[in-house]
Amino acid sequence: MIHATAWYIWLLAALSVLLGTRNPLYLIVLLAEMALVVEALYAPTGEKLRAPVAPGRFALFVVPAGALFNVLTTHTGATVLLRLPEAIPLLGGPLTLEGLVYGAINGLSLAALFTAFTVLNLAVPIRDLIRLAPRAFYPLAVVVSVAVTFVPTTLRQIQEVREAQAVRGRRMRGLRDWLPLFMPLLIGGLEHALQLAEALTARGFASSDAPFDAPRDQGVRYGLLGALLLLLTGGLLRLAWNLQVWGWLLMLLGAVLFGWALRRAGRSAPRSTYRRIPWTRADTLITLGAALTVIPLWLRAGAARLYSPYPALTLPLFDPWVGLAFLGLTLPVFQLYRARVAAAGAAL
Amino acid sequence: MKDRKSILLSSLIYLITNLVGLVGFFYPFFLPLLSADRAQAASPWLMTLLVGFCFVALLLEVQGDALNARFVALLGVLVALNAVLRFIETAIPGPGGFSPIFFLILTTGYVFGARFGFLMGALTLLVSALITGGVGPWLPYQMFTAGWVGATSAGLRVFRLEGRRGEVALLVALGAVWGLFYGMLMNLYFWPFAAGLGDQQWTAGLSWIAGFQRYAAFYVATSLAWDIVGALGNVLLLSFFAAPTLRALRRFRRRFTFIYQAEAL
Repeated sequence: MIHATAWYIWLLAALSVLLGTRNPLYLIVLLAEMALVVEALYAPTGEKLRAPVAPGRFALFVVPAGALFNVLTTHTGATVLLRLPEAIPLLGGPLTLEGLVYGAINGLSLAALFTAFTVLNLAVPIRDLIRLAPRAFYPLAVVVSVAVTFVPTTLRQIQEVREAQAVRGRRMRGLRDWLPLFMPLLIGGLEHALQLAEALTARGFASSDAPFDAPRDQGVRYGLLGALLLLLTGGLLRLAWNLQVWGWLLMLLGAVLFGWALRRAGRSAPRSTYRRIPWTRADTLITLGAALTVIPLWLRAGAARLYSPYPALTLPLFDPWVGLAFLGLTLPVFQLYRARVAAAGAAL
Repeated sequence: MKDRKSILLSSLIYLITNLVGLVGFFYPFFLPLLSADRAQAASPWLMTLLVGFCFVALLLEVQGDALNARFVALLGVLVALNAVLRFIETAIPGPGGFSPIFFLILTTGYVFGARFGFLMGALTLLVSALITGGVGPWLPYQMFTAGWVGATSAGLRVFRLEGRRGEVALLVALGAVWGLFYGMLMNLYFWPFAAGLGDQQWTAGLSWIAGFQRYAAFYVATSLAWDIVGALGNVLLLSFFAAPTLRALRRFRRRFTFIYQAEAL
């Protein structure tokens, strides 16, 4: 099993290369590599994806849709394919090849971002996502845990209420017919909440009126305020006065202070770890591979990184070293297949 | 009782985080007032970073002020119910921008207050993203905006219409406004990233009037019809369901006021 933190680092690396380039060749390579990871995650169980739309289907929709939208609304570029009458509002004017390509690149970039997040959604179980929340957010993590635990109960309750209404001969035809379904659901949920609150109070969980506020020292608030002011001032220095170095310095200080405030706020939150997930050599390799993916793109790619089809379409450049470095993102595939082979061997 | 210093610090955090959140959404319109050089090209990333920090600070402040065992249980169960509604909507998509989740965010915010409404909005989006696999770069913005939906509904209490006829009309009006405004705000977060050429796209150095005109053209062309359906959905749901829902929520608000007295044992 790959550690959730290793997946987060993988996602950060994927995002930084995806958001850092507009070169369609790089984007296609990255998309193909991430599709491999999705496939490796999907293959073992053959279960339905825990994503509203499969990434391949999303790409098939968003790339042509992006191209069509851009070519119809952006009338710039040297290679005119067609002219729509100027009288048509928004759409009238020349339709260009450059507009088409630019829109397709937008779609490609969106599809790749979507695939990167699909990997995270598939790879990391919900309980591990909640577990990674900083200790300072302990109360909210409890709320999210309660909510996630109650989702199956609520779905079951919907089914029970629907069956009860069906037995009485009630059909769902108009919006008004949903009220007899919704109200028992809401009141049943509130009754559950009341029982849960009593159970939590009886076990001594946060039984006073503002238990998480009372013992909190004001240092956290001072820290947060100071951090926000430093971040804001740094941002303003960069944007309004173009003082890049001072701006970055203040923002860095703000981020450090912010981290300190979060850490201090987390000290008062209790946390018991019953099963610690080990960090393995494979996790280190995946983390290093992800980090190595990022560096060549920013150091070497230059003009190839920021490709634009305007004003006249040209072929994008492709730096083979950058393409090779992108392979770092495929390391989870090897680990996933290795784990599967090992599991199959153990089963035999 | 909280002391004055604590209230002042808390208010300052609320003020700064919400202001920066608003600035983070609306900066494409007024950035040229600050600067007209090429540093603006990097501004979307900077603003995303600032909004992220502010959202985290706001969550930290809200949770500390509000949560106890009753609050945790009530919020957790209502968030689960709303996340299930979004789950059903994902499985069986409604027409256009119709989404059933705002109904419960608006009514709970109105009955239980701004903090509850903010957390109800933000956590509904988080939990539903977790169960439907919808975690993505859009999530913090969705959480921030849905949080505002819940927090603003508590503002309707200043009209002191609780339990009277006019309160449903007020909620319906707010639901209609948010139906349009939610989409408008959510478009703003990615509009500068989709920058390129064309008379609907953001480019660095635009005056606020030109930026507004371009955004208006972009919004009308891509989202207005979608959001009108969303607003109509909110209006219909609130018109039909708000009155009985508010009665139920108020009844349980009274039942949730039990007090734990350790010394009585």
